[in-house]
Amino acid sequence: MEIICRNLSFSYAGSDGPIFSGLDLSISGAGFFSFFGFSGSGKSTLARLIAGLLTPESGQIIKHDLSRGLFSYNTERLPGWLPVGEHLKRVTADGREEMLKRLLSEFGLTSLTGHKFLKLSMGQKNRVNLVRYLVQDFDLLILDEVLANVDEPSRNSILSFIKKNFPEKSFIYISHNVSEVAVFSKEVFVLPQEGTGALSDLVSLSGLDLDHPKKAERGRVQEKMLEILQASSESKKHLKQ
Amino acid sequence: MRLVQFIVIFLTGLCILLAVKYLAGLSDYLIPPPEEISFFLFNKAGDFLFPALNTTIVAIAGHVLAILIAVIVAFWARTGSRISNMVKTAAYNLQAYPVVAIAPIVFIFLGDGLSSRLLIASLICYFPLLLSFLGIFSDPVTDVEHFFRETGRMDAVTELSIRVFENLDKIITVITGSGTLAMVGTIVAEFLAATNGIGYVIRKSLYQNNLAAILSSLFFIGLCSSLYLMAVEAAGRMIKKKIAA
Repeated sequence: MEIICRNLSFSYAGSDGPIFSGLDLSISGAGFFSFFGFSGSGKSTLARLIAGLLTPESGQIIKHDLSRGLFSYNTERLPGWLPVGEHLKRVTADGREEMLKRLLSEFGLTSLTGHKFLKLSMGQKNRVNLVRYLVQDFDLLILDEVLANVDEPSRNSILSFIKKNFPEKSFIYISHNVSEVAVFSKEVFVLPQEGTGALSDLVSLSGLDLDHPKKAERGRVQEKMLEILQASSESKKHLKQ
Repeated sequence: MRLVQFIVIFLTGLCILLAVKYLAGLSDYLIPPPEEISFFLFNKAGDFLFPALNTTIVAIAGHVLAILIAVIVAFWARTGSRISNMVKTAAYNLQAYPVVAIAPIVFIFLGDGLSSRLLIASLICYFPLLLSFLGIFSDPVTDVEHFFRETGRMDAVTELSIRVFENLDKIITVITGSGTLAMVGTIVAEFLAATNGIGYVIRKSLYQNNLAAILSSLFFIGLCSSLYLMAVEAAGRMIKKKIAA
């Protein structure tokens, strides 16, 4: 799987200026890629452009060996008239029923399958939504802050499960959490802060690419986190003023 | 609650009318005394209750017909195509036209029977229903629909189910409101030319200057109307409760 963005420019109608101007980006192979940046830096916009939910004003997004990419975000809701278990059964791709059972168990949702979506907590809603994407056929899954309301230990075990069980798939993970981005990602694309101009280039850093935070040396994680945070503040130089 | 409200309003109106009668010293011919009103309300109840039920049944049938047609048209017109935009524009323009004004034409073509009353009842509540359904059916619920679009699972039935579910409160309010319109439409139709129903009874009473009979008619049609709207609201509550459980 390969995604190449060339000379990408985009602005929202009625906004002061473009968010991206001549942006280049390349993602290739399976694994966990992250977009890191502060609120309003354009992470979701970039992900939506890659997913085809937004159209760039100019430039190209070339996709190779990508038959199916999916985009998921944290405020998604399930239809309210069905219990979540029934909905999940109905939308599970053929042959993935066993994976559904495992995911429900690993994500701590087995006891909630008889509940309606409205009655779940925010964190449970996030987990149920993620499960239904993971039981689809996909090559690339974009996760736009899909675990925003989940507590940190659960987030770590979920990301750990995904990394162990979907090694042949590609993920673009969008998060504000620098430590999980540092630990789990194969490559981190850092976006600068909001309101500093049109972004022309991203800072690309290698991540630790581990499948659990416990496997990381504390010093290495802190070093990587610092590197990402520094790149985030230094990345102003990649802006076209 | 709706029934209690109606009875309180009716009794208040009656008291005001009688107060005016006695304070201004108006004749029994103009405003009948309480004994005459109660005679019509209790002793002659059947003369008004059955026509009121007749009107209510026609209004319910017209209301159901209007809901069905509005759902079908709004579902078909929700897509944003050129034809659907034409339907929306036509609905907006037509709803501004007083449908009651075309009632005489309906009577000329269909006569003074059931079909005319049914058609006028439907027409009067149809356009507000259509406009509301058009708005609801063509407004995407992105947070719920996104998954179905992403995974290629979205079909017309799923889309409709999501939009109806997410707007259930609005739909119940619109249906209840249009129920009153259907009742008004039927009475107006009967008042104009029909030979059945409470509107016809009111017209006859008007020609006889019989205010006691008119008041009795108003009481029974108000009663039937309140009961019908209560039933619609109760059905809405039941549906919501069942879905939320």
